[in-house]
Amino acid sequence: MPSTAIEVRGVDKYFGRFQALDKLDLTVHTGEVAGFLGPNGSGKSTTIRVLLGLLRADAGSVGLLGGDPWRDAVTLHRRLAYVPGDVTLWPNLTGGQAIDLLGRLRGGLDPARKKDLLARFELDPTKKARTYSKGNRQKVALVAALSSEAELLILDEPTSGLDPLMESVFTECVLEAKAQGRTVLLSSHILSEVEKLCDTVTIIRKGRSVESGTLDDLRHLTRSTVRATIDGDAGALEGVEGVHNLRTDGDTVTFDVDNIHMDAAMRTLTGLGIRSLVSNPPSLEELFMRHYGDELAALNGHGNGSTAA
Amino acid sequence: MSAFTGTGTLVRFVLRRDRIRLTVWVLALVGTVVATIPALNDMFSTDAQRQARAALMDTPTGIVFGGPGYGLDDYQLGPMIVNELTMSMLIALAVMSILHVVRHTRAEEESGRAELLRANVLGASAQMTAALVTVSLVNLLIGGLTTLVLVGNGLDAADSVAYGLGLALAGVSFGAIAAVCAQIVEHGRSAAGLAFLSIGALFMFRVVGDMAEDGGNALSWLSPFAWGQQTRVFDDLRWWPLTLYAALIVVLFALTYALARRRDLGAGLVASRPGPAGAGRLLGNTFALHLHQQRGAVLAWTAATFLFALSFGSLATEVEGMLEENPDLMAMVSDAAEDATEGFLGVMGGYVLMAASAYAAVSVLRTRTEETSGRAELTLSTAVGRVRWFGNALLVSVLSSALIVVMGGLGMGLSASAALGDSSWTWTMIGAALAQLPVALLFAALTALLVGAAPRLIPLVWAWLGYSLLASMFGDLLGLDEWLLNLSAFELLPKLPSEEFDAVPVAIALGAVLAVSAVALAGFRRRDLATV
Repeated sequence: MPSTAIEVRGVDKYFGRFQALDKLDLTVHTGEVAGFLGPNGSGKSTTIRVLLGLLRADAGSVGLLGGDPWRDAVTLHRRLAYVPGDVTLWPNLTGGQAIDLLGRLRGGLDPARKKDLLARFELDPTKKARTYSKGNRQKVALVAALSSEAELLILDEPTSGLDPLMESVFTECVLEAKAQGRTVLLSSHILSEVEKLCDTVTIIRKGRSVESGTLDDLRHLTRSTVRATIDGDAGALEGVEGVHNLRTDGDTVTFDVDNIHMDAAMRTLTGLGIRSLVSNPPSLEELFMRHYGDELAALNGHGNGSTAA
Repeated sequence: MSAFTGTGTLVRFVLRRDRIRLTVWVLALVGTVVATIPALNDMFSTDAQRQARAALMDTPTGIVFGGPGYGLDDYQLGPMIVNELTMSMLIALAVMSILHVVRHTRAEEESGRAELLRANVLGASAQMTAALVTVSLVNLLIGGLTTLVLVGNGLDAADSVAYGLGLALAGVSFGAIAAVCAQIVEHGRSAAGLAFLSIGALFMFRVVGDMAEDGGNALSWLSPFAWGQQTRVFDDLRWWPLTLYAALIVVLFALTYALARRRDLGAGLVASRPGPAGAGRLLGNTFALHLHQQRGAVLAWTAATFLFALSFGSLATEVEGMLEENPDLMAMVSDAAEDATEGFLGVMGGYVLMAASAYAAVSVLRTRTEETSGRAELTLSTAVGRVRWFGNALLVSVLSSALIVVMGGLGMGLSASAALGDSSWTWTMIGAALAQLPVALLFAALTALLVGAAPRLIPLVWAWLGYSLLASMFGDLLGLDEWLLNLSAFELLPKLPSEEFDAVPVAIALGAVLAVSAVALAGFRRRDLATV
């Protein structure tokens, strides 16, 4: 088994004149849970459809489980399970029928696991799909995917219709899948979900990967927030390399510091007589905002105008 | 607060919400009346032309789309409007009224919007009443404007009023039927389907009744499609058939309210039952999936075609008499027919083929719906190849249209055998129907080609199908040139039993079906799947 489950290099995809993917790179190693993060319209679903061989890449190379998804779709699909972002089912099939059907088309599912998942997701399999809410349709696709024997799970915003309780069931299920040695590609725009589940993260923007690595790697590249109560004059911190957004409120000082300059900042701070100190690593949210902050600013600048993504 | 509190507000709201939709319907329908009158005057400007036309209206096809044939003796503008225009107007009014009523009753409940409204100060019957009031208003408006147009063209005022009123009341009756259907089932789509089915059956009652007897028999009188023309408007006006509409409307409205009182918001009288918790053994591949999705439609089309064929086949003897009285007419109905019965059955077999062809296209087109809805994405993300998925869909289409053709032939054969007292007609008619099957398959293959290789051009299939239907049904009536007539798909193969079977065009057609299908599959394999 190759150690890389997904290997996408320099992929372009055009829809007419619109460029959906722009030299996109994405690597997922076997056995890891990979987060694929970006706002709506950034190209996550397009990438996944290229990975599934539903769309053909206009340039670049796409490797999936050691094969070419456009050419070898059927053989590769036996080894993966996919949950679309917006699940549409056959209105006149019940949820249970859809789950069995998808399982059989995929090459079999584990009935015991299916039963267990139906109970955990509190899904009534006897209802016709036309009566299901978005969340319930998503559960149908999730149960079908998770009760398969697939070695790779491709999940496109799988929790967008689930309530918080079901989200935590989903989290457990993904962790179980990881424990079983399966590989998971989880696309999402929910940062906390990715932060909780994923070993690695790729952030995509306008069809281009802008950041990728383990969460630790990414945190290393960015800033932490430090808040301290000190005896001395906070002015000493001004001009220290890597310190930003310095704010003082009485004897409390708050600032952001580039992680690579943490040492210098701490030395200066120690000299000021620390009485209390809190340092927060950057959340994924902050990482994300760094790449999309300008869009947000543009949005705020133009009232509730259209987004660039 | 009464059950009707807020009805007035809702009526205004419905009219506001549908102002464009309803305006288009009114303009289109009244516009059709306005445009038809000069067209009829131009096309049939002399008495001789008008009487020739009247003779054609007395043929089976004329009766299907015309009516019981009042006023054919002196075929002036008034009777012409009644015979040429009424059925299209009634069908359009039925479609409009059903869609309107379902849209403002069951569909509102289904979407949850009704819940939002009912939480306010609103009577339990207000929404239903608003739907019925607005559908009545629109139908009366169309009827009234039609009357004005007719009077404006110099026609008798009393007859014009009767005609307009007949149209309007028929439209309201159709709306009332839809209102009852909306009480019975839980989903807007099923309600509309049930209403269309009921109204389709009522249409067939009139057709069969009118065909069996000049002026219609008891079966015709069961159908609201008949009553308007039974006033003998522009011929020998009598008003009382219109009271049948009034009675039907009162009964159906009362039934609607009675049914509505017995159920909860959002529930149907027929509740959706829970289905199986798992798939049966058979539902395990894409062929089974396609078939499962279409079985209801296939059964409905097959049953409708079979019943249609059965009812027309039984007319075989009567037609013979009717046509023999009029040799000119017989020549026009079927030039090649050596005997009238064969000619008539050949023409009716054409209708069976039309149904099968339309279904063949509809069936393949479902793959496009699967694709654009995102279901194909889910299916094709499993270990199912595109060629297999698409090919199985094509196969289901081929088998379904073959079933429709065979059952149509069987229906016609059985009743023709009974009517003519000769059981060999059963096999003759099944064979005759099968000999035309390649045309239906051609529609399946062409639809597949466009879905597979050029989805944007899908309307071309409908264009050709529509043209072929019009040309083959009305080509003779319209005096279409031979070469224009031959562009119709339904003229490609010989029409048995009146024409001889010829293996060459059949083989060419089958070859084309195979070749086009192969290109369709190759195209579908190579293109991007449509994304949602």
